[in-house]
Amino acid sequence: MSVGRLPTGRRLLVALGGLAVAALLAVELLFPANPITDIAVVLATIVVDANYVSSVLRLTVPIAFAALGGIFAEKSGVINIGLEGLLIISAFTSLAAAAALGGGDPNQTQLWLGFGIAVLVSTLFALLFAIVCIEFKADQIIAGLAVWLIALGLAPFASKVIWGQVNSPTIGTFDDWTVPLLAEIPFVGPVLFDASPMVYLLLVAVAASWYVLNRTAFGRWIEASGENPKALDTVGVDVRKVRYAGVLLSGFLSGIGGAGLAIGRVGQFIGGGTTMINGRGWIGITAYLFGNYNPVGAFGGSFLFASLDALQFRLQQVGYNVPSDLIGIIPYVTVVVVLAFVGRTRIPSAAGEHYESGEE
Amino acid sequence: MSGDDAEDSVDGGGDSGGRFGRTLGRLVDASAVERILISLAALVLSVVVGTLVILVSGLVLSPCPSTPFASIPGVGAFCYDPIEVYRVLVVGAFGSTYNLGITLKETTLLVFTGLSVAVAFRAGLFNIGTQGQLVLGALGTGLGVVWAAPFVPAGLVGGVVLAAFGLLAGALVGGVWGAIPGALKAYADANEVITTIMLNFVATGLALTLVSEVFKDPETQNIQTRAVPEHAEFPPSLLGVQDFSIFVLIGGIALAVGVYWMLRGTTFGYDLRTSGEQPDAAEYGGVDAKRMTVTSMALSGAIAGIGGAVYVLMVAGYWQEGIPSLGFDGITVSILAGNNPIGVLPASLLFGALKGGSLAIEFELAVPQELVGILRGLVILFVAMPEFFRMIGIRYDYGDDATVAADGAGPEDPGTDRDSGPTDASDDDEGGEDR
Repeated sequence: MSVGRLPTGRRLLVALGGLAVAALLAVELLFPANPITDIAVVLATIVVDANYVSSVLRLTVPIAFAALGGIFAEKSGVINIGLEGLLIISAFTSLAAAAALGGGDPNQTQLWLGFGIAVLVSTLFALLFAIVCIEFKADQIIAGLAVWLIALGLAPFASKVIWGQVNSPTIGTFDDWTVPLLAEIPFVGPVLFDASPMVYLLLVAVAASWYVLNRTAFGRWIEASGENPKALDTVGVDVRKVRYAGVLLSGFLSGIGGAGLAIGRVGQFIGGGTTMINGRGWIGITAYLFGNYNPVGAFGGSFLFASLDALQFRLQQVGYNVPSDLIGIIPYVTVVVVLAFVGRTRIPSAAGEHYESGEE
Repeated sequence: MSGDDAEDSVDGGGDSGGRFGRTLGRLVDASAVERILISLAALVLSVVVGTLVILVSGLVLSPCPSTPFASIPGVGAFCYDPIEVYRVLVVGAFGSTYNLGITLKETTLLVFTGLSVAVAFRAGLFNIGTQGQLVLGALGTGLGVVWAAPFVPAGLVGGVVLAAFGLLAGALVGGVWGAIPGALKAYADANEVITTIMLNFVATGLALTLVSEVFKDPETQNIQTRAVPEHAEFPPSLLGVQDFSIFVLIGGIALAVGVYWMLRGTTFGYDLRTSGEQPDAAEYGGVDAKRMTVTSMALSGAIAGIGGAVYVLMVAGYWQEGIPSLGFDGITVSILAGNNPIGVLPASLLFGALKGGSLAIEFELAVPQELVGILRGLVILFVAMPEFFRMIGIRYDYGDDATVAADGAGPEDPGTDRDSGPTDASDDDEGGEDR
């Protein structure tokens, strides 16, 4: 671990530098008339605002869960670029299931049931992807692309069948969970102890993923399955099973992310254009790439992108009349800039390749 | 999975590089046949799975708005008749000259985006950014032609000059936008799959901002540029469909042949293919791999930009918000065509027909047109797994010929070439190694 930590830290530093450059450029671009200092003051006050940080954490949920899932799949040797599709599927399913259970006005229990069904369906989708990649040796990139395209067609299609239009009706969202006493702490309280259950779930998932990958036998198998499957095979562990586990975990985690967005925050499925997921799965991939496959780093990356996303709402609230489309591209520009700075990420050496046991 | 199976692919993986080098020419010929078979099999399977989707969605919908096509007591009613859906889909695509015109219009647009993706694929680059290159190329055309119009006399000659200028502007803007991820890949090792996807979002946002803030047509509420003068638009010709010009389709076919010739018959094309298929060999042979990456992405972007120009000059007449997802469809077209420029033509026709027919199924049968999007994804999924067809071949013991043909080796050499299909596919489309 001590070996792995340094590059991750440096990577994040570089990423932060890239972000700063991108942000400065954006500011320069957006407000030619305003001195940068003014903006900096506004930004500073926004960033220390507990409301802002809370909303960033909520926006982090789908991105970070997709990123965590992507880590497990890719570390095990199966590149899953279909994360975006899994988010779309689970976002839709959560709404459809909860609405069906609750007759249009589901209560909290029914919302949670819908959430569970969505996670299950997303995992099943991932299973399909795993079978295609592992049994039928499909090209992983093209198959992942197919998962995305199928989801992009299936979710709006099903929406139209069920609701007659690509968007679902609005239903309720999960109630926030408040921890008594701790929620009273200034700043930390409202951010961490009076939050959406999805935020708690995310923090737990990040810690658990880190622990599983770095401290358990299963984590070592995942690592070996992507780096040196032959060695893993030699010691008697079934590479195929480990890879199935990795891909299924990516479906499970993405399922939480997509459902967490749809019934955790928005309360509706929006199926027009790129759907309500709108590239978050792709950003998740970038987040774990520059987090160098470390769950904590991936969370940091997701948080940064989410904060840029939240910034655009905030700047408009504060009253800067800038074209929303232009602000909307900042996260994407940042991804490109960051990727250019971070450059080649060392991916697991056997990722993308099929593995056949010689003794089968 | 049988043991014989496993052994096979281990062998193949080991020596595929050498074999590939030795018999590049022969394999390309053999793979044309096998690719066609795989594509056809993928289509058939997609239709089968699509049938299930239609049945299940009809079941979900019940009680049906009109008479159900079948019902099972205790289970429910199937509202949609799959055969009827596919029939309407085909009739909607080809049933009348008007419908045929719509289909050919879509086909024409897809030829350009399909070729754009195919060129990049051939160079070993996964250009998912055709959509963004097309959107900005279209904007370049729209603005360029409106800007140049006053300097050019009206009439046929002026129209031809303007249209040519518009195509050039589209190609230039698309090419520059395509070169960016190419340069990032070559000089900063940034994975082009991610950068091109991100740049799609950026392109759309940028174009929307530019048009709504600077270049908006003041006479309309919509976010669109001023219309290009009528004499610069491609005149509707044949079939009487407003937005289809047979000349553009012919131009698209000519471009496909040209790209095919470029890849097969020129040194540049050879270098481009080798750098995609065997980067090390290309580098050894004196190809500047970095420059080749930028060049082929720029070329791919330029073709996408021409597609955008065609959209403006043949279909819309101006740049407008909500350009259809022709670029993403281009990926599907190219994958189905096995990244072969000539194969792009029938693949475009197929997806053009699906698009033409999708309107009909929604209009006539109230089946959501997004069904076509599902079929599109399924086709890609099945094309990605040639091994699947090989296993079916083995299972039902259709003999060596069928087996070999489905999985990708030439019939000449069934023993050793067995698994070249999947192996080569993964070599071609390498995205994994270069993150």
